[in-house]
Amino acid sequence: MYIIGENIHILSDAVKAALRDRDAGFFQKLAVSQVEAGAQALDLNLGPRKKDWEELFPWMVKTVEAAVDVPLCLDSTNLNGIEAGLKVITKAQPIINSTSAEEERLEQVPLVAKKYNAKLIALTMGKAGIPVSADERVTIAIEKLIPRMLEIDFPVSDLIIDPLVLTVSGCQEYAPELIEAVRTLQVVWDPPPAISVGLSNVSNAVPDEGRPLINRVYCAMLMGVGMNMMIADPLDDEQNDVVRIIEERDESTPVGKLYLAISDAAANMEELSIDDVDMGDPEQADIWKTVQVLQNNVIYAESYLQQ
Amino acid sequence: MSIEIPVDKWPGTVNTVTLGATEADGGTRAKVVTIGGEQSLPFMHFETEMPHSPVIALEMTPSRTDDWSQILLDAWGDVVEDPARWAAAIEAAGADVIVVTFGLTDPAGDPITPDYAVSTVKAVLEASGLPLVVLGPGQADVDNELIVPVADSTKGERLVLGLCEDGNYRTIVASAMANDHLVVGRTPMDVNLAKQLNILMTDMGLPLDRIVMDPTTGGLGYGIEYGYSVMERLRLAALQGDAMTQLPMLVTPGYEAWRTKEAKVGEGVPETWGDWADRGVHWETLTAVSLVEAGADVVVLRHPESLKRVREAIDELMTAAPA
Repeated sequence: MYIIGENIHILSDAVKAALRDRDAGFFQKLAVSQVEAGAQALDLNLGPRKKDWEELFPWMVKTVEAAVDVPLCLDSTNLNGIEAGLKVITKAQPIINSTSAEEERLEQVPLVAKKYNAKLIALTMGKAGIPVSADERVTIAIEKLIPRMLEIDFPVSDLIIDPLVLTVSGCQEYAPELIEAVRTLQVVWDPPPAISVGLSNVSNAVPDEGRPLINRVYCAMLMGVGMNMMIADPLDDEQNDVVRIIEERDESTPVGKLYLAISDAAANMEELSIDDVDMGDPEQADIWKTVQVLQNNVIYAESYLQQ
Repeated sequence: MSIEIPVDKWPGTVNTVTLGATEADGGTRAKVVTIGGEQSLPFMHFETEMPHSPVIALEMTPSRTDDWSQILLDAWGDVVEDPARWAAAIEAAGADVIVVTFGLTDPAGDPITPDYAVSTVKAVLEASGLPLVVLGPGQADVDNELIVPVADSTKGERLVLGLCEDGNYRTIVASAMANDHLVVGRTPMDVNLAKQLNILMTDMGLPLDRIVMDPTTGGLGYGIEYGYSVMERLRLAALQGDAMTQLPMLVTPGYEAWRTKEAKVGEGVPETWGDWADRGVHWETLTAVSLVEAGADVVVLRHPESLKRVREAIDELMTAAPA
């Protein structure tokens, strides 16, 4: 699993404060801890920074590159800011996060990616927003995103398609469709583009204590359909353990076996069978309930585990 | 050419809930109303029989009627000044259930008191044999202040008490549990929140056959499609077996329709809109019939003529097409 560490994110209060103070030590520490935990790239989500982009993006790139060697993923809607950051990259091939299929973005962003030899994350989202169905998202990739790369001679091997994870709290019907989109996107082109998802979006607006389980279970389902890159929290040990269990096919614990069964069921286009679950074990029962919610079989509610 | 109609077989069933209690069951109601029990989407008689017809409630308020359309006040006449007479008129108009909605003030415009609420509900119970829904003004502290003494003083009647909402359900649920009443929980057009409130209320120990849910709707032209979708989604989940969505649904098309400009306002609108009174009744009727199609078990109306029309529509929908 290629994890793009998500923890330098403008929505975090600590990050906001450290940005205000230009606290290089804070970012270097956060970068190092993510890389040590297994992150193979780091997302730098700085927001649009309309006022100070010219200074801030290069500052951030230099700050983080002084501490780690991994690729940096410049995450902003401000293309000028991204370009300012790309100019000062000295280490690994960077990533731009992101373009959409919207005309203006798709016109400009890939050109910047090409100019700076950056990889490019492209969202399967057009002007009309994010389509629910897997097919529509795949169609955007085939009809808009990939053709634009060919048009400007941008290597498809540097394209990363993000079919967009949405929260189970409010957009539940998207959850199983996203899984199908990830499955299908791998066979639509030769060579296949990379696919990455923003895993923790699935639990946005879910109370904090409920988020990790939803993330872990969704991760197992997505790994079953071949997901091997995600923007995620590399410091989540339990999530890392699920990734390891599935990658190593570690059947040594009952819960591990269950996560493997979840992943295998997704791989085989089946639903997890209740026979694979020991409902007497509260942890397994919670995992089962979470699968039902993520498959959109049971409506999500904050207290769905109590049901 | 013969067409084969696909037949769904659903694993889930909507809860059956009885509103009101006769003397034999500890209350004083002349008749009770049973709703729910569906095993298919509405009126799919070729799949399963619909055990209980959707029912029609008429709403009255023992508070000031300033925000009621003049059309409604004209239709009811001077009974609106006397809750007992209004209740009797509602029964005479053919409603199945009476909804008594308190506002924040009494008819004189003074802040509403628990004593007034209790005496009013008792007068209504005297005046009519129909089951009652009793709702506070929807402001947490006032709701609790009114509904608790009403619940205490009408023990055993199986009134439907409300409003239970996300931030305010414990007090009303507890007093319903203690006095053999039912509750209605309202959430703002959101399936996740609707289910969450159902979990929270049942968590307190109130049995599922004593809860109905109001997922909230919009009037025709004012978001009814969102309300419709939420109800449809909840009902599909219920039929798929999700226990915390298997509650019968009560919605308030009367309230929603009569606050639309089209129903509420008679002056300064295009002449082509036609007769005001007629338009208002159409608005309410169409809103209500649409929601019945979405799976409503109780529609709460305000105009007696709308009741007739909605009744006719329901009766027709309940008649299975000949094979």
